[in-house]
Formats: sequence, structure tokens, C-alpha cells
Amino acid sequence: MDKTLILVVEDDIPVQKLITVTLKAEGYRYLTAETGQSAVISAASHNPDIILLDLGLPDLDGVEVIRRIRSWSNVPIIVISARSEDPDKIDALDAGADDYLTKPFSVAELLARLRVTLRRINSAGAESAPSFFQNGALTIDYAAGCVSLAGEEIRLTPIEYKLLCLLSRNVGKVLTHKYITQSIWGNSLESSTASLRVFMATLRKKLTPSPESPSLIQTHVGVGYRMIRVEEKTE
Amino acid sequence: MPSHDRSILIDLLLSLLILAVATVLGALFDHLRFSESTIMMSYLLGVLLISIGTSHRGSSTLSAVVSVLLFNYFFVDPRFSLQVLEPGYPVTFAVMFLTSFITATLAIRLKSAAREAEQNAREKEEAAVQIENERLRSTLLRSISHDLRTPLTSITGNASNLLSHGEDFDEGTRRSLYRSIYEDAVWLNQMVENLLVSTRLENGETKLNFSAEVLEDIIEEAASHARAAGMTQQIVVEPTEDLLLVRADARLIAQVLINLLNNAQKYTPDNSTVRIRAQKLGEFVSVSVADDGPGIPDEDKDRIFDMFYTGTRNISDGRRSLGFGLALCRTVVRAHGGEITVSDNTPHGAVFTFTLPSEEVPLNG
Repeated sequence: MDKTLILVVEDDIPVQKLITVTLKAEGYRYLTAETGQSAVISAASHNPDIILLDLGLPDLDGVEVIRRIRSWSNVPIIVISARSEDPDKIDALDAGADDYLTKPFSVAELLARLRVTLRRINSAGAESAPSFFQNGALTIDYAAGCVSLAGEEIRLTPIEYKLLCLLSRNVGKVLTHKYITQSIWGNSLESSTASLRVFMATLRKKLTPSPESPSLIQTHVGVGYRMIRVEEKTE
Repeated sequence: MPSHDRSILIDLLLSLLILAVATVLGALFDHLRFSESTIMMSYLLGVLLISIGTSHRGSSTLSAVVSVLLFNYFFVDPRFSLQVLEPGYPVTFAVMFLTSFITATLAIRLKSAAREAEQNAREKEEAAVQIENERLRSTLLRSISHDLRTPLTSITGNASNLLSHGEDFDEGTRRSLYRSIYEDAVWLNQMVENLLVSTRLENGETKLNFSAEVLEDIIEEAASHARAAGMTQQIVVEPTEDLLLVRADARLIAQVLINLLNNAQKYTPDNSTVRIRAQKLGEFVSVSVADDGPGIPDEDKDRIFDMFYTGTRNISDGRRSLGFGLALCRTVVRAHGGEITVSDNTPHGAVFTFTLPSEEVPLNG
């Protein structure tokens, strides 16, 4: 693939400059847009690899921008929001955004999110057998319903297995509590969300053989969960 | 029936009852051959009681008239008629009416004066509370604007220096200015987070998002936040045996932990270790944040959670008060029904411990 093209949608010029300077320094190509309307047009005409989308745009609701883009494209969208806009962030994820950054974010955070997203794009294409999932030491055989960690089979309850499949099929993506409870229990009642937290905690323990080893499942307090794609060691 | 009519009816019944009692009492005095003035007195007393006991002015005036008539009817010859034989009686009746009428008026006036005084006292009390709130608010505002302006002064100053004479500075000086701008901005952000939390608290507990949360997740979030904000001290999260669930607003409790970690960052040497430990204690879960820094002197321990208290010793950088942060921790923990305390670590250091209500979750298999 050629140099990655990133569409930066941000109406605040200093922040936009901060992002573009960072992208340029890292060798990414970029486009900018200051409004939701122009973002949708730019996304359609330039076909960017990743979109960085600020939620507080002057013309369109950020969630609306995501819906419009999602109507024809699966391009990864990373939303940028201020802490006070927590509910907007969750709405954006539910509308199809892949990840989020909270203002103020550090340059390192921004680059880390981009790398995670790029890894996801690249590995999605390389997925040879869709009935089989491999991520670091974790292997899932969807057809056999079999999960193993470093070659050793691990026993999961039916719910834990469902959760793991949901996360692995969306690896790299932040899934909201609402999305997960809807998928597993068909509702997003408070009791389901509470159960989800418990099942996630036990699932994560089973997937983490020792306390030192990094967890495959990230918790985003107040938002949801994500399975991170482990970087393949070059062999 | 409207309540106004009902209170008139009750006043009327009460007046009738009191006048009847006064009449019976008069009959008793008459039977005992007491003088007429004693009987009159029992009516006067009756009218006085009516004026105190009823809420309508009319009822006391009416009973003053009726009491004169009753006295005439029952106790003045010829009995059981309103006629009088002796020519002096009309004067007696007039005096009796005036006396009871004036007494009643005075009693009513006294009653309303007492009510007014009570209302005044209440208003004064409310005003005092309001003044105290205003005072707190303005102290808070002054403290916040001071706390915001200090880093802003340093940021704008350093940035303008770099803009105008950046090339005259050597690399080391430039780097230290950049670093200072960065640190001040990080500090400002923490301040803003705390302000956001305090506004949410001010809006009342209904705005808090209580739910069953896995404590470990909240601790991990706070620890990674503190690391990202440049905390150099080592943070050790001790693993718990069981899954600990608490009833909490995850964001707010994360902020409590972040404030405690920031505190440790500020007051302990760079190579210190901060340990976070959680355990179940009956109905509660306790969380402790322990550092191995210099600790907190006993004279500060009682007041450390008060608004704007920055300790008896000077802070190393001399200008930053985090008095707000710990006070906020206490407000948040109390809003959860818990308590926060500080104690000494051994051999040295401070331990902040807070409790949260424990939670059980019925699992949706």
C-alpha cells in the first residue's frame, strides 16, 4: 500500500495544525476539513484510509457525519471528543466509529491509535480462513468452538465464549456496553451491563495466564471493551 | 369544602364550646353565691381564650357580643330573658363588652407580633445560610481563578519568550521552557477535570451514574491515566483474590484515585512506590493508596480534606495548592456513602483509605 492517507476533520485550527504537523512528521499523507458537510464530500471523493473526526463540528452532528459515511464506506473512523462529551462519544461508537481520543490527548496517544487502526486494516486483508482466529497466543477455532492459549485449550462458559467471539470478530474496535449487551442478551438493561462487567472480568482472567502478561482485552471505563491486536513478532 | 370555609367552621365551633364552658362555670359560681363580677370574669377569660385559639378576628368580636348577651340572659334578673330591671346594667354590659373586646384585640396583636418575629428569625437564618454559601462560592472562585491564572501566566510567559527570543536561548534553556509549558498544561487539565466533577456533584446526586462496577477496572484506568500524565513514581496495583464489585460512579471514583495519585506524585520523591490495595470489609470495599514518602504530620491530618487547606509546610514548588483535590475526594466518597481517611505508612509515608458500598450482581446467564 502507498503512504496512508488520513482525513482530519477538525474546526479548531490550532488543534487541526497540531494533528497535521504530527502526521507530517510521521510520514502520513493528510487532508483536512473544517465542517461535517465537507468531511462527507472529502471522504467520498478522496477515499481516505482513516478518518479523524472531531465531534464538536459547527454544522453537522458528528454522529450524523458517521452515519452518512457509514452508508457507503467501512473506512475506520476515530472520533475526537472532550471529556464532557462522554455520551456523544458513546453514540458515535454505536453509530459505527471504531475508536476514540479524548481531548486533551498526547501526540503519542494519537499515533498509537493510528497504528492500532492500521494494523487492523492490514490484518483484516490477511485473514486467510474466516473460521479461524489468531491473535498473539490466543487461537479461536470458530467451527469447533474451541479456544486455546499458547497451544493449551482453555474452558469457557457459553456466555464467555460468545463474548470472546464478539470481541475477536471486532478486534481493534471499541465496543460499547450497549452494543455488547444487545448482541449477547438482546437488551441493554442495567442488570445486563452489570453482568457484562463480571463476565468480562472472569474472561479476562482466563485469557491472562499471569498478572504480568498484558491483557488482550482493554477496559474503557464508562464506555466499553476492546480486544487489542497483538503485534506479530517478526520471525 | 375549601379549607378557608372549614377553618371558619372550626373557629365557630371552638368559640361556641368555650362560651358554653364559660356559661357552665358561671352557673357554678352563681350556685356558690360568688359575686356577678366573678361570673363576668369567666366570660372575659373565655373571650380571651377564643381570641388566642382562633384564627379569624371576627370570632373574638362576635364572642365578646355573645358573652354579654349570655351573661344578661342567664345571670341578670330577670333570668332567662334579655330584659333588665336595674338602670345601671347597660353601662355594666358596655364596660364588659369593651373590656373583652380590647383584651381580645391585644391578644390578637400579640399573636401576630410573635408570628412576625418568628418569620423574621427564619428569614435571617436563611439569609445567613445564603451569605455563607456566597462566601464559600466566592472563596472557591477566587482560589480557582488564582490556581488557573498561575499556570496560565507561566504558559503565556514561556511561550512568548520562546516566540520572541527563542533563537537566543541555548538548547537546554529551550527544553526547560517547553517542559514547563507542558507540565503547566497537564496541571491545568487536572484542575479542569476536578471542576467538572464538582459541577456534577453540585447538580445533586441524581446526576451521578451509579452502577455495579469492577473495582479493578477503575483502579487500572486511574493508574494508566496517572502514568500517562507523567507520574514518575512506581504504581503497584496489588492483585485481589476475588472479583470486587462496588456500587459507584466509575468516572468519579477514577477521579478520586487520580487525585490521590497526583498528590503522591507531588509530595513524594521520584523514586517512591505507590501501592494500591483493595479488600472487602463486610458491606463495604476499602481501597487504600499508600506511598513511602515523608508522610503527613499529625497536625495536618484532621484538616487535609478541608477546602483550600494546603498543609502547614510549604509545598516544594511553592505555588500550587491541591487543597481542592482532596476536598473533592471526600465529597465524592461521601456521595457514595463511604468515608475517606489518612494514616501513617510504616516505616514512613502516607496511606489514604476510602470505602465504597460493596455490590452483588445476579448474573444473566
